[in-house]
Amino acid sequence: MNPQLKGIETLEGTYLFDLATSAKALRLNRFLHGFTVPGNRALFKENPDAAFAGAGLSAEERRMVRELDWAALIRYGASFFCLEKLGRVKGISNPEMVAGFRGESLDQFLKTRRVPGAR
Amino acid sequence: MARILGGIGTSHVPTIGGAYDRNKQNDPDWAPLFKGYEPVKTWLAERKPDVLVFFYNDHATTFFFDHYPTFALGVSAQYAIADEGLGPRAVPPLKGHTGLARHMADALVNDEFDISVFQDLPIDHGVHSPLTLFWPPSPDWPGKIVPIEINVLQHPIPTPARCWKLGQAVRRAVLSYPENLKVVIVGTGGLSHQMNGERAGFNNEKWDRKFLDLIARDPKKLAAMRHADYIRLGGTEGAEEIMWLAMRGALSPRAKKIHQNYYLPMTTAMAVALFEEPDAKPALKKKARPGRDARPSFRTRAARAGIQR
Repeated sequence: MNPQLKGIETLEGTYLFDLATSAKALRLNRFLHGFTVPGNRALFKENPDAAFAGAGLSAEERRMVRELDWAALIRYGASFFCLEKLGRVKGISNPEMVAGFRGESLDQFLKTRRVPGAR
Repeated sequence: MARILGGIGTSHVPTIGGAYDRNKQNDPDWAPLFKGYEPVKTWLAERKPDVLVFFYNDHATTFFFDHYPTFALGVSAQYAIADEGLGPRAVPPLKGHTGLARHMADALVNDEFDISVFQDLPIDHGVHSPLTLFWPPSPDWPGKIVPIEINVLQHPIPTPARCWKLGQAVRRAVLSYPENLKVVIVGTGGLSHQMNGERAGFNNEKWDRKFLDLIARDPKKLAAMRHADYIRLGGTEGAEEIMWLAMRGALSPRAKKIHQNYYLPMTTAMAVALFEEPDAKPALKKKARPGRDARPSFRTRAARAGIQR
Protein backbone atom coordinates (compact mmCIF):
# COMPACT_ATOMS: atom_id res chain seq x y z
CA MET A 1 0.00 0.00 0.00
CA ASN A 2 1.05 3.57 -0.66
CA PRO A 3 2.43 4.78 2.72
CA GLN A 4 1.23 8.30 1.91
CA LEU A 5 -2.35 7.04 2.05
CA LYS A 6 -2.22 4.86 5.15
CA GLY A 7 -5.23 5.59 7.33
CA ILE A 8 -7.39 6.82 4.48
CA GLU A 9 -9.49 3.64 4.54
CA THR A 10 -11.16 4.84 7.75
CA LEU A 11 -12.68 7.86 5.95
CA GLU A 12 -16.27 7.09 5.08
CA GLY A 13 -17.85 8.14 1.79
CA THR A 14 -14.48 8.62 0.09
CA TYR A 15 -13.48 6.91 -3.15
CA LEU A 16 -9.83 7.40 -3.92
CA PHE A 17 -8.84 7.28 -7.57
CA ASP A 18 -5.81 5.02 -7.65
CA LEU A 19 -4.26 2.71 -10.25
CA ALA A 20 -6.61 -0.19 -9.50
CA THR A 21 -9.67 2.05 -9.90
CA SER A 22 -8.18 3.68 -12.97
CA ALA A 23 -7.59 0.31 -14.64
CA LYS A 24 -11.06 -0.96 -13.77
CA ALA A 25 -12.85 2.06 -15.20
CA LEU A 26 -10.46 2.99 -18.02
CA ARG A 27 -12.95 2.33 -20.82
CA LEU A 28 -15.69 4.37 -19.14
CA ASN A 29 -13.33 7.24 -18.30
CA ARG A 30 -11.97 7.27 -21.85
CA PHE A 31 -15.55 7.60 -23.12
CA LEU A 32 -16.23 10.51 -20.72
CA HIS A 33 -12.91 12.19 -21.54
CA GLY A 34 -13.99 12.00 -25.19
CA PHE A 35 -16.54 14.75 -24.50
CA THR A 36 -13.69 17.23 -24.91
CA VAL A 37 -14.17 16.60 -28.67
CA PRO A 38 -17.25 18.31 -30.22
CA GLY A 39 -17.94 15.41 -32.61
CA ASN A 40 -18.23 12.96 -29.72
CA ARG A 41 -20.64 15.27 -27.91
CA ALA A 42 -22.78 15.59 -31.02
CA LEU A 43 -22.95 11.83 -31.50
CA PHE A 44 -23.84 11.28 -27.82
CA LYS A 45 -26.65 13.83 -28.03
CA GLU A 46 -28.05 12.50 -31.30
CA ASN A 47 -27.58 8.79 -30.83
CA PRO A 48 -26.38 7.74 -27.37
CA ASP A 49 -26.59 4.03 -28.19
CA ALA A 50 -24.21 4.48 -31.12
CA ALA A 51 -21.84 6.45 -28.90
CA PHE A 52 -22.00 3.72 -26.20
CA ALA A 53 -21.43 0.99 -28.78
CA GLY A 54 -18.50 2.83 -30.32
CA ALA A 55 -16.85 3.06 -26.91
CA GLY A 56 -17.65 -0.58 -26.11
CA LEU A 57 -19.42 0.28 -22.85
CA SER A 58 -21.00 -2.53 -20.84
CA ALA A 59 -24.74 -2.62 -20.11
CA GLU A 60 -24.15 -1.37 -16.56
CA GLU A 61 -21.87 1.44 -17.77
CA ARG A 62 -24.51 2.50 -20.28
CA ARG A 63 -27.23 2.49 -17.63
CA MET A 64 -25.24 4.64 -15.21
CA VAL A 65 -24.40 7.21 -17.90
CA ARG A 66 -27.93 7.24 -19.35
CA GLU A 67 -29.55 7.70 -15.93
CA LEU A 68 -26.83 10.10 -14.69
CA ASP A 69 -26.49 7.89 -11.61
CA TRP A 70 -23.70 10.01 -10.12
CA ALA A 71 -23.33 8.00 -6.91
CA ALA A 72 -23.04 4.70 -8.78
CA LEU A 73 -20.64 6.17 -11.34
CA ILE A 74 -18.23 7.32 -8.62
CA ARG A 75 -18.46 3.98 -6.78
CA TYR A 76 -17.76 2.21 -10.07
CA GLY A 77 -14.56 4.15 -10.61
CA ALA A 78 -15.44 7.11 -12.82
CA SER A 79 -13.07 10.02 -12.24
CA PHE A 80 -14.94 13.09 -11.03
CA PHE A 81 -13.00 15.11 -13.58
CA CYS A 82 -14.25 12.93 -16.42
CA LEU A 83 -17.79 13.04 -15.01
CA GLU A 84 -17.49 16.82 -14.98
CA LYS A 85 -17.40 16.70 -18.80
CA LEU A 86 -20.59 14.60 -18.86
CA GLY A 87 -22.12 17.18 -16.52
CA ARG A 88 -21.28 20.00 -18.95
CA VAL A 89 -22.72 18.08 -21.92
CA LYS A 90 -25.96 17.43 -20.01
CA GLY A 91 -26.14 20.96 -18.55
CA ILE A 92 -25.72 19.72 -14.98
CA SER A 93 -23.77 21.88 -12.52
CA ASN A 94 -21.10 20.59 -10.13
CA PRO A 95 -23.26 21.29 -7.05
CA GLU A 96 -25.98 19.08 -8.56
CA MET A 97 -23.45 16.30 -9.13
CA VAL A 98 -22.16 16.67 -5.57
CA ALA A 99 -25.74 16.44 -4.31
CA GLY A 100 -26.03 13.20 -6.28
CA PHE A 101 -22.89 11.76 -4.65
CA ARG A 102 -24.38 12.57 -1.24
CA GLY A 103 -27.74 11.04 -2.10
CA GLU A 104 -29.46 14.42 -1.80
CA SER A 105 -31.54 16.60 -4.07
CA LEU A 106 -29.93 19.83 -5.28
CA ASP A 107 -32.24 21.86 -3.00
CA GLN A 108 -31.29 19.76 0.03
CA PHE A 109 -27.61 20.21 -0.73
CA LEU A 110 -27.87 23.96 -1.32
CA LYS A 111 -29.43 24.35 2.14
CA THR A 112 -26.10 23.17 3.58
CA ARG A 113 -24.12 25.84 1.69
CA ARG A 114 -23.23 29.38 2.78
CA VAL A 115 -24.02 31.13 -0.55
CA PRO A 116 -26.48 28.93 -2.45
CA GLY A 117 -26.61 31.42 -5.34
CA ALA A 118 -22.89 31.18 -6.13
CA ARG A 119 -23.23 28.68 -8.95
CA MET B 1 19.54 37.45 -14.89
CA ALA B 2 15.94 36.48 -14.26
CA ARG B 3 14.48 37.58 -10.92
CA ILE B 4 11.58 36.22 -8.88
CA LEU B 5 9.39 39.04 -7.62
CA GLY B 6 7.03 36.95 -5.52
CA GLY B 7 4.37 34.30 -5.59
CA ILE B 8 0.62 33.78 -5.71
CA GLY B 9 -1.37 30.90 -4.27
CA THR B 10 -4.90 30.66 -5.61
CA SER B 11 -7.84 28.31 -5.95
CA HIS B 12 -8.73 27.36 -9.50
CA VAL B 13 -12.38 26.34 -9.29
CA PRO B 14 -13.89 26.51 -12.79
CA THR B 15 -16.76 28.66 -11.51
CA ILE B 16 -14.22 31.45 -10.79
CA GLY B 17 -13.60 31.72 -14.54
CA GLY B 18 -17.30 31.25 -15.19
CA ALA B 19 -18.19 34.13 -12.87
CA TYR B 20 -15.66 36.33 -14.72
CA ASP B 21 -17.04 35.32 -18.10
CA ARG B 22 -20.58 36.12 -16.94
CA ASN B 23 -19.50 39.54 -15.53
CA LYS B 24 -20.48 38.70 -11.95
CA GLN B 25 -18.03 41.22 -10.43
CA ASN B 26 -20.79 43.17 -8.70
CA ASP B 27 -23.12 40.27 -7.95
CA PRO B 28 -23.37 40.09 -4.13
CA ASP B 29 -22.74 36.32 -4.27
CA TRP B 30 -19.45 36.82 -6.14
CA ALA B 31 -18.21 40.28 -5.14
CA PRO B 32 -16.30 38.98 -2.07
CA LEU B 33 -14.32 36.72 -4.41
CA PHE B 34 -13.49 39.40 -6.98
CA LYS B 35 -12.60 41.98 -4.30
CA GLY B 36 -10.12 39.51 -2.86
CA TYR B 37 -8.20 39.43 -6.15
CA GLU B 38 -8.03 43.23 -6.59
CA PRO B 39 -4.81 43.72 -4.56
CA VAL B 40 -3.17 40.89 -6.54
CA LYS B 41 -4.26 42.48 -9.82
CA THR B 42 -2.91 45.87 -8.69
CA TRP B 43 0.38 44.36 -7.51
CA LEU B 44 0.90 42.63 -10.88
CA ALA B 45 -0.09 45.77 -12.81
CA GLU B 46 2.56 47.72 -10.86
CA ARG B 47 5.36 45.13 -10.92
CA LYS B 48 4.72 44.16 -14.55
CA PRO B 49 6.25 40.66 -14.53
CA ASP B 50 7.27 39.26 -17.91
CA VAL B 51 6.42 35.65 -17.04
CA LEU B 52 4.17 33.78 -14.62
CA VAL B 53 5.43 30.27 -13.87
CA PHE B 54 2.42 28.12 -12.97
CA PHE B 55 2.28 25.00 -10.82
CA TYR B 56 -1.18 23.67 -11.61
CA ASN B 57 -3.06 20.46 -12.15
CA ASP B 58 -4.78 19.25 -15.26
CA HIS B 59 -8.28 17.78 -14.80
CA ALA B 60 -8.15 14.81 -17.19
CA THR B 61 -8.46 17.32 -20.01
CA THR B 62 -5.05 17.77 -21.63
CA PHE B 63 -3.91 14.39 -20.37
CA PHE B 64 -5.75 11.09 -19.92
CA PHE B 65 -5.07 8.08 -17.72
CA ASP B 66 -3.44 6.16 -20.57
CA HIS B 67 -0.41 8.29 -19.66
CA TYR B 68 -0.87 10.68 -16.79
CA PRO B 69 2.32 12.67 -16.15
CA THR B 70 3.47 13.15 -12.56
CA PHE B 71 5.24 16.40 -13.49
CA ALA B 72 5.15 17.94 -16.98
CA LEU B 73 6.64 21.23 -18.15
CA GLY B 74 5.04 23.14 -21.02
CA VAL B 75 7.55 24.45 -23.59
CA SER B 76 5.22 25.90 -26.27
CA ALA B 77 4.98 29.45 -27.58
CA GLN B 78 1.19 29.16 -27.38
CA TYR B 79 -1.42 27.04 -25.60
CA ALA B 80 -5.00 26.85 -26.83
CA ILE B 81 -7.78 27.17 -24.24
CA ALA B 82 -8.96 23.59 -23.70
CA ASP B 83 -12.48 22.40 -24.50
CA GLU B 84 -13.79 20.87 -21.26
CA GLY B 85 -17.18 19.88 -22.64
CA LEU B 86 -18.73 23.24 -23.42
CA GLY B 87 -16.29 24.55 -26.00
CA PRO B 88 -13.32 26.72 -25.01
CA ARG B 89 -13.77 29.89 -22.93
CA ALA B 90 -13.77 33.07 -25.00
CA VAL B 91 -10.33 34.24 -23.88
CA PRO B 92 -7.19 34.41 -26.06
CA PRO B 93 -4.77 31.48 -26.27
CA LEU B 94 -2.14 31.54 -23.50
CA LYS B 95 1.30 32.74 -24.56
CA GLY B 96 4.28 30.66 -23.49
CA HIS B 97 7.84 31.87 -22.89
CA THR B 98 9.82 29.30 -24.86
CA GLY B 99 13.25 30.65 -23.91
CA LEU B 100 12.67 30.34 -20.19
CA ALA B 101 10.76 27.06 -20.55
CA ARG B 102 13.50 25.35 -22.56
CA HIS B 103 16.12 26.64 -20.15
CA MET B 104 14.06 25.30 -17.23
CA ALA B 105 13.85 21.88 -18.90
CA ASP B 106 17.66 21.83 -19.27
CA ALA B 107 18.22 23.12 -15.76
CA LEU B 108 15.74 20.77 -14.07
CA VAL B 109 16.99 17.64 -15.83
CA ASN B 110 20.62 18.52 -15.08
CA ASP B 111 19.55 19.14 -11.48
CA GLU B 112 18.31 15.49 -11.46
CA PHE B 113 14.64 16.53 -11.68
CA ASP B 114 13.76 14.48 -14.76
CA ILE B 115 10.62 16.32 -15.75
CA SER B 116 8.64 15.39 -18.88
CA VAL B 117 7.78 18.13 -21.35
CA PHE B 118 4.72 18.87 -23.47
CA GLN B 119 4.00 21.22 -26.34
CA ASP B 120 1.17 22.12 -28.68
CA LEU B 121 -1.50 21.00 -26.21
CA PRO B 122 -4.48 22.93 -24.85
CA ILE B 123 -4.61 23.92 -21.15
CA ASP B 124 -7.66 23.78 -18.90
CA HIS B 125 -9.09 25.85 -16.04
CA GLY B 126 -6.28 24.77 -13.70
CA VAL B 127 -4.33 27.72 -15.15
CA HIS B 128 -6.78 30.14 -16.66
CA SER B 129 -9.81 30.21 -14.34
CA PRO B 130 -8.03 32.28 -11.66
CA LEU B 131 -5.72 33.99 -14.18
CA THR B 132 -8.51 36.12 -15.62
CA LEU B 133 -9.16 37.61 -12.16
CA PHE B 134 -5.64 38.92 -11.57
CA TRP B 135 -4.06 39.17 -15.05
CA PRO B 136 -7.05 39.83 -17.30
CA PRO B 137 -6.63 39.83 -21.07
CA SER B 138 -7.38 43.32 -22.34
CA PRO B 139 -7.52 42.42 -25.11
CA ASP B 140 -4.53 40.06 -24.95
CA TRP B 141 -2.73 38.58 -21.91
CA PRO B 142 -0.30 41.04 -20.31
CA GLY B 143 2.61 38.57 -20.52
CA LYS B 144 3.72 34.99 -20.95
CA ILE B 145 3.49 31.85 -18.87
CA VAL B 146 5.44 28.66 -18.23
CA PRO B 147 3.06 25.91 -17.06
CA ILE B 148 4.14 23.00 -14.87
CA GLU B 149 1.50 20.29 -14.50
CA ILE B 150 1.38 18.18 -11.32
CA ASN B 151 -0.68 14.99 -11.10
CA VAL B 152 -3.14 15.16 -8.21
CA LEU B 153 -5.81 13.00 -9.87
CA GLN B 154 -4.44 9.48 -9.99
CA HIS B 155 -2.65 8.07 -6.94
CA PRO B 156 0.25 7.69 -6.38
CA ILE B 157 0.60 11.46 -6.69
CA PRO B 158 3.89 13.18 -5.82
CA THR B 159 4.48 13.71 -2.11
CA PRO B 160 4.19 17.15 -0.53
CA ALA B 161 7.93 16.99 0.21
CA ARG B 162 8.70 16.29 -3.45
CA CYS B 163 6.58 19.24 -4.58
CA TRP B 164 8.46 21.46 -2.13
CA LYS B 165 11.75 20.26 -3.65
CA LEU B 166 10.38 20.78 -7.18
CA GLY B 167 9.69 24.37 -6.19
CA GLN B 168 13.27 24.77 -4.96
CA ALA B 169 14.63 23.30 -8.21
CA VAL B 170 12.39 25.61 -10.25
CA ARG B 171 13.80 28.54 -8.27
CA ARG B 172 17.35 27.51 -9.19
CA ALA B 173 16.29 27.05 -12.82
CA VAL B 174 14.62 30.47 -13.08
CA LEU B 175 17.42 32.35 -11.31
CA SER B 176 20.03 30.83 -13.65
CA TYR B 177 18.28 32.13 -16.78
CA PRO B 178 20.60 34.76 -18.31
CA GLU B 179 17.96 37.13 -19.70
CA ASN B 180 16.66 39.97 -17.54
CA LEU B 181 13.16 38.73 -16.82
CA LYS B 182 10.78 39.51 -14.00
CA VAL B 183 9.09 36.30 -12.90
CA VAL B 184 6.22 35.56 -10.53
CA ILE B 185 5.48 32.01 -9.35
CA VAL B 186 1.86 30.86 -9.13
CA GLY B 187 0.49 27.73 -7.43
CA THR B 188 -3.17 26.91 -8.10
CA GLY B 189 -5.63 24.57 -6.40
CA GLY B 190 -7.50 23.91 -3.14
CA LEU B 191 -8.32 24.79 -0.57
CA SER B 192 -10.57 22.27 1.20
CA HIS B 193 -13.02 20.40 -1.01
CA GLN B 194 -14.04 16.88 -1.94
CA MET B 195 -15.75 15.96 -5.20
CA ASN B 196 -16.56 12.27 -4.72
CA GLY B 197 -18.61 9.98 -2.51
CA GLU B 198 -20.98 10.70 0.33
CA ARG B 199 -18.27 12.90 1.88
CA ALA B 200 -18.47 15.21 -1.17
CA GLY B 201 -19.05 18.82 -0.19
CA PHE B 202 -16.69 18.46 2.75
CA ASN B 203 -14.94 21.68 3.84
CA ASN B 204 -12.80 22.62 6.82
CA GLU B 205 -12.36 26.34 7.30
CA LYS B 206 -10.28 25.86 10.44
CA TRP B 207 -7.73 23.79 8.53
CA ASP B 208 -7.82 26.18 5.54
CA ARG B 209 -6.95 29.09 7.84
CA LYS B 210 -4.15 27.09 9.41
CA PHE B 211 -2.82 26.16 5.98
CA LEU B 212 -2.82 29.83 4.93
CA ASP B 213 -0.82 30.60 8.06
CA LEU B 214 1.67 27.74 7.70
CA ILE B 215 2.31 28.23 3.97
CA ALA B 216 3.81 31.61 4.87
CA ARG B 217 5.28 30.97 8.32
CA ASP B 218 6.33 27.32 8.39
CA PRO B 219 5.97 25.64 4.97
CA LYS B 220 8.36 22.86 5.98
CA LYS B 221 5.70 21.63 8.38
CA LEU B 222 3.29 21.33 5.43
CA ALA B 223 5.95 19.56 3.34
CA ALA B 224 6.39 16.95 6.08
CA MET B 225 2.70 15.99 6.09
CA ARG B 226 1.37 12.94 4.23
CA HIS B 227 -1.41 12.90 1.66
CA ALA B 228 -3.61 11.02 4.13
CA ASP B 229 -3.35 14.07 6.41
CA TYR B 230 -4.28 16.47 3.61
CA ILE B 231 -7.24 14.31 2.59
CA ARG B 232 -8.52 13.89 6.15
CA LEU B 233 -8.18 17.62 6.86
CA GLY B 234 -9.07 19.12 3.48
CA GLY B 235 -10.92 16.45 1.48
CA THR B 236 -9.64 14.33 -1.41
CA GLU B 237 -9.23 17.39 -3.64
CA GLY B 238 -7.55 19.27 -0.81
CA ALA B 239 -4.50 17.38 -2.10
CA GLU B 240 -4.27 20.20 -4.65
CA GLU B 241 -2.62 22.25 -1.92
CA ILE B 242 0.71 20.68 -2.92
CA MET B 243 0.78 23.17 -5.82
CA TRP B 244 0.91 25.98 -3.26
CA LEU B 245 3.78 24.16 -1.60
CA ALA B 246 5.72 24.01 -4.88
CA MET B 247 5.11 27.74 -5.35
CA ARG B 248 6.30 28.47 -1.82
CA GLY B 249 9.39 26.30 -2.37
CA ALA B 250 10.31 28.50 -5.32
CA LEU B 251 10.34 31.62 -3.14
CA SER B 252 13.10 32.69 -0.78
CA PRO B 253 12.80 32.20 2.99
CA ARG B 254 12.40 35.97 3.24
CA ALA B 255 9.28 36.18 1.07
CA LYS B 256 6.38 37.67 2.99
CA LYS B 257 2.65 37.20 2.63
CA ILE B 258 1.22 40.67 2.03
CA HIS B 259 -2.40 39.79 1.23
CA GLN B 260 -4.90 36.99 1.48
CA ASN B 261 -8.59 36.43 0.89
CA TYR B 262 -10.82 33.51 1.83
CA TYR B 263 -14.32 32.81 0.53
CA LEU B 264 -16.29 29.61 0.97
CA PRO B 265 -19.58 30.01 -0.87
CA MET B 266 -20.39 26.55 -2.24
CA THR B 267 -18.31 23.35 -2.47
CA THR B 268 -14.74 24.68 -2.59
CA ALA B 269 -12.89 27.07 -0.33
CA MET B 270 -11.70 29.82 -2.69
CA ALA B 271 -8.53 31.41 -1.38
CA VAL B 272 -5.84 33.66 -2.76
CA ALA B 273 -2.57 34.71 -1.10
CA LEU B 274 0.12 37.06 -2.38
CA PHE B 275 3.78 36.74 -1.40
CA GLU B 276 6.42 39.37 -2.04
CA GLU B 277 10.19 39.03 -2.09
CA PRO B 278 11.99 41.76 -0.14
CA ASP B 279 14.07 42.85 -3.15
CA ALA B 280 11.01 43.09 -5.39
CA LYS B 281 10.76 46.81 -4.85
CA PRO B 282 7.69 48.26 -6.44
CA ALA B 283 8.11 50.24 -9.61
CA LEU B 284 5.67 52.71 -8.10
CA LYS B 285 5.53 53.82 -4.48
CA LYS B 286 1.95 52.72 -4.04
CA LYS B 287 1.80 49.40 -2.24
CA ALA B 288 -0.74 46.65 -2.67
CA ARG B 289 -3.66 47.35 -0.41
CA PRO B 290 -4.29 44.64 2.16
CA GLY B 291 -7.62 42.95 1.57
CA ARG B 292 -10.31 42.86 4.16
CA ASP B 293 -9.22 39.40 5.14
CA ALA B 294 -5.53 40.20 5.57
CA ARG B 295 -4.37 40.32 9.16
CA PRO B 296 -1.95 43.24 9.55
CA SER B 297 -0.08 41.56 12.40
CA PHE B 298 0.78 38.63 10.18
CA ARG B 299 3.54 40.41 8.31
CA THR B 300 5.30 41.18 11.54
CA ARG B 301 4.91 37.63 12.81
CA ALA B 302 6.18 36.14 9.53
CA ALA B 303 9.21 38.43 9.59
CA ARG B 304 9.94 37.48 13.20
CA ALA B 305 9.62 33.79 12.38
CA GLY B 306 12.35 34.28 9.76
CA ILE B 307 11.01 31.51 7.57
CA GLN B 308 13.73 28.92 7.15
CA ARG B 309 13.92 26.19 4.58
